[in-house]
Amino acid sequence: MIELKNVAFTYQEKIVFQELSLKVEKGQKVGIVGESGCGKSTLLRLIAGLYRPAEGGVTVDGENDPEKISQKVSIVLQTPMLLPLTIRENITMGHAFSEEWIRQVCAASNLTKWIETLPNGIDTYLGDRADELSGGQAQRIAIARAMCKNAQVLLLDEPTSALDGENAAAVLEALDHFGEDKTVLHVTHRPEHLVGYDRILRMEGGKLLEANASCAWRAVSL
Amino acid sequence: MRNLRLLLKRNRIWVGVAVLAAIFSNLSQMIYTYYVGELANRIVGRTMIGLAFLAVLGGFLVSNAVTQFLNQYFGRFAAEKMAHSLRMGYATRLLRKATNDREGLSVSSAMSVAQNELAQADAYLGNTFFDVFGMAFTGILATIFLLLQDILLTLTLLLPTVLILVYVRFSSRKLSGIVSSTQTEKARMNQVVYSAVSAFPAVKVFDGEALCKGAFRKRLLAWEGHATKNGRWHALYNTLSGILSRVPLLLLLLVGGYMVIRENIQIGTLIVFLNLQKSLTLSIMNLPSWLSGFQVFTTNLSRVEIE
Repeated sequence: MIELKNVAFTYQEKIVFQELSLKVEKGQKVGIVGESGCGKSTLLRLIAGLYRPAEGGVTVDGENDPEKISQKVSIVLQTPMLLPLTIRENITMGHAFSEEWIRQVCAASNLTKWIETLPNGIDTYLGDRADELSGGQAQRIAIARAMCKNAQVLLLDEPTSALDGENAAAVLEALDHFGEDKTVLHVTHRPEHLVGYDRILRMEGGKLLEANASCAWRAVSL
Repeated sequence: MRNLRLLLKRNRIWVGVAVLAAIFSNLSQMIYTYYVGELANRIVGRTMIGLAFLAVLGGFLVSNAVTQFLNQYFGRFAAEKMAHSLRMGYATRLLRKATNDREGLSVSSAMSVAQNELAQADAYLGNTFFDVFGMAFTGILATIFLLLQDILLTLTLLLPTVLILVYVRFSSRKLSGIVSSTQTEKARMNQVVYSAVSAFPAVKVFDGEALCKGAFRKRLLAWEGHATKNGRWHALYNTLSGILSRVPLLLLLLVGGYMVIRENIQIGTLIVFLNLQKSLTLSIMNLPSWLSGFQVFTTNLSRVEIE
């Protein structure tokens, strides 16, 4: 379970949230929409333990230490944030996983076909192939990384914003399948990506509004 | 070389002025040396040294000092103009380049280039480029001037020089490959650091700190290995070329001394050769390091995209 209690957060002297509260039950799928710059990404980063709230508390499965929270979540950001290392190292981040598990996550994130075309396969060094890697391939590596960690909480921050329609659909399908038994928080500008989610929240003026509490907005957005 | 041609073309006026200043400086130096040799001949031959002769000698002494100053001044100025064109060309290229999807790696690559290849090429242009050019120019002009003085004595200097040049050509090729691989390793090492910083959220959430440290250590060791190899080969080749470059002076003293004793040439001619042989031997002695420095410069320059 994810819980934010009266969280306040300021960024460069600008108040992003004040007294923000949210409770997400285990296994729930929650979509978050809102204008650019309203704090959606900041919210995910707070939950991931990347930022510390100025006031209030964030707990994930009863844990409130940001260092420990980081261990309980997986995140896919707008930019893939790859390292100039091999594909394998970017997926496993240096942790020991079985070959079978790595193979499964590569298949789930539609990487297998592409990897098979590379001379060194999954051990191909990415730093020298900077101009050959498409945005879709890079983002799928980031998704494979999130899948590989297999954390119970999956945070998605516009994971398909850099992808074309076909790639985006494939990636969303893979993420939906992977997130079936997980708690998912998905930030997006495109409400149509949130079909089938348990809850949809809109962030506005530093507050989170339930979609079903604002039928007019839901009608317009969906 | 494309980038170097572009920089030279963009600053052709100042480069032209610097080249002219180098020509005048060298010509003035040679004529002055010629008159010093003539002075020695008159002293040995107990010939009258007139006031007009001394005035001409003094005039060339002053002109030598002035043209050397102008040579340095315009050389530095042209170098700074070229360095400025390089920096601005890189900035313009970056601004116009379409943003890559993989923002993290692109930014780290750009930072790596700016802090390594661009900074080193910039420093070379500002500090070394025109000095090397000037010395090479002096060597060529000195050779022509000495050939006009005495062909046999010039060949005594030139023949071992040609052998040294062959050796230098071989060593610079070898060094170029080593330098290039060292540069590649350094860029890879820096890229790991910049990427780890720009990909901080991913590193933290996925607990990749140990991976980054390990990758950096691996790259550091690889770079250290290349840098050590690079240093060893440079030391070896430079030591050998240093020894070889002394051979022409020894031959000049032996052959020139013998010719003076046999009265085939005057003492003044030998003095001119002894004065100007430095222009040749110094150029040769420094050629390996200049060439390897120039190779590093062109390698760095070829990795900087400019507009």
